[in-house]
Amino acid sequence: MAQTSRQQIHAKVVELARQLGRDASRLSFDEEIPAAGLLDSAAIMELILWFEDENGIAIPQEHLTLANLGTIDAMSAYVERAGRGSS
Amino acid sequence: MPTAIYTPRVNNNDDTVRLAAVLVAIGSHIRAGDPIVDVETDKATFTVESSTEGYLLGVTGKPGDTLQVGSVLGWIGATADEPIAAEPIAPAPAEESGAEPTLKAILLLKAHGLRISDVPHTGRLTASDVERYAAGRGRSSADLAAGEKWAAPATPGHIEPFTAEQKGMARTVAWHRDEAVAGYIELAYDPQPWDAYAAEFQKTHGLLLSPLLPLVACRLAKLAAETPRINATAVAGGAYLYRQVNLGFTVQAGSSLYLVSLRDAAAMSEAAFVRELGDLQRAAMKHSLKAEQAAGVTVAFTSMARWKVVRHIPILAPQTSLMVAHSATVDGVAYLGASYDHRLLTGFDVAQVLQTLSTPVSIN
Repeated sequence: MAQTSRQQIHAKVVELARQLGRDASRLSFDEEIPAAGLLDSAAIMELILWFEDENGIAIPQEHLTLANLGTIDAMSAYVERAGRGSS
Repeated sequence: MPTAIYTPRVNNNDDTVRLAAVLVAIGSHIRAGDPIVDVETDKATFTVESSTEGYLLGVTGKPGDTLQVGSVLGWIGATADEPIAAEPIAPAPAEESGAEPTLKAILLLKAHGLRISDVPHTGRLTASDVERYAAGRGRSSADLAAGEKWAAPATPGHIEPFTAEQKGMARTVAWHRDEAVAGYIELAYDPQPWDAYAAEFQKTHGLLLSPLLPLVACRLAKLAAETPRINATAVAGGAYLYRQVNLGFTVQAGSSLYLVSLRDAAAMSEAAFVRELGDLQRAAMKHSLKAEQAAGVTVAFTSMARWKVVRHIPILAPQTSLMVAHSATVDGVAYLGASYDHRLLTGFDVAQVLQTLSTPVSIN
């Protein structure tokens, strides 16, 4: 399964933020998503579920850390590691 | 031989009722289901309906009189002049009652179109006996709540059948309405200490998601273990105190609202609680909860802060006595509310719980 690009992740963040009445179009790839205050926990959970589904992976609860998935760059790196079987 | 009408039990704790009103003139023709008399206690009023077609031959006593539960309340005859048996008023015969049914059982019998003798039971017939028997026939009170008790509207339209989740909600709402004696109170508090505590916890554990709500729910689980009556339900014999805390937590997944059940939650550390609840939340959002992950809740927590709701009155989960409602912060003030079963808890009890819950305490 093809890995989601940073642009695709960004577009999903923008879509989820819009549902909360917020504009995430200026979120940079290396900006911490929770700290940006654009998505609440439930929306970040939706983002993770979408991310799992898009990439055909299951992320263990203990991997839900800022280091692993806190930015768009980190998410992209995580799925690359998952593809190599070393997440 | 005239048919006897027996005095029903209106409240579990009252062995007598007062005859409030006779609704039909003696000698009148009545059909099955017609109201005959109102009886009452200090807590409730109940309308006794005819179980058969015939003529009302007589009613025992006059309005204001006290009647023994299970005694003969009146007689219905095939003709208006049929003689009433001359023997003294006797308790209901064993074949028909064993002991007299509970009021809830009587209502369910009527709703299901059953007679007492249809339902296998030992001792006093209870709502659970009727539910069990009706469920074995493929019907439940949720079905009734969802349809049969509701009259069809006169305005043209069509029926869209309830989903399984909507039936579950109908069952919950029906329990809240029919069983619990629900009250609600709320408390204003400063949310800053909890926000700071959650932020520190998130930083320490490097968490992606804010642990605020799970941490407040975890505190509630610990409180429930320390305060057994908020981890309980009312049964005929008294308060049923659960041996462990199964923390219910609402999860909105699209248009579905789940109440996930975190079992033995009070035994967990905060970190384990946050992790385990996270797993349940994700399962709910994927609509892949196992049956046991949404059952057996003993105390519950819900939040509508996400939608900027500042106060909401939760529906009690079946067979619980407390559900705490967390809401949004406005101008530095937030509210913790709680629906509670007044049979087990007073407003004072719940205020103390909310007061304690409004401030974080490190519990590890």
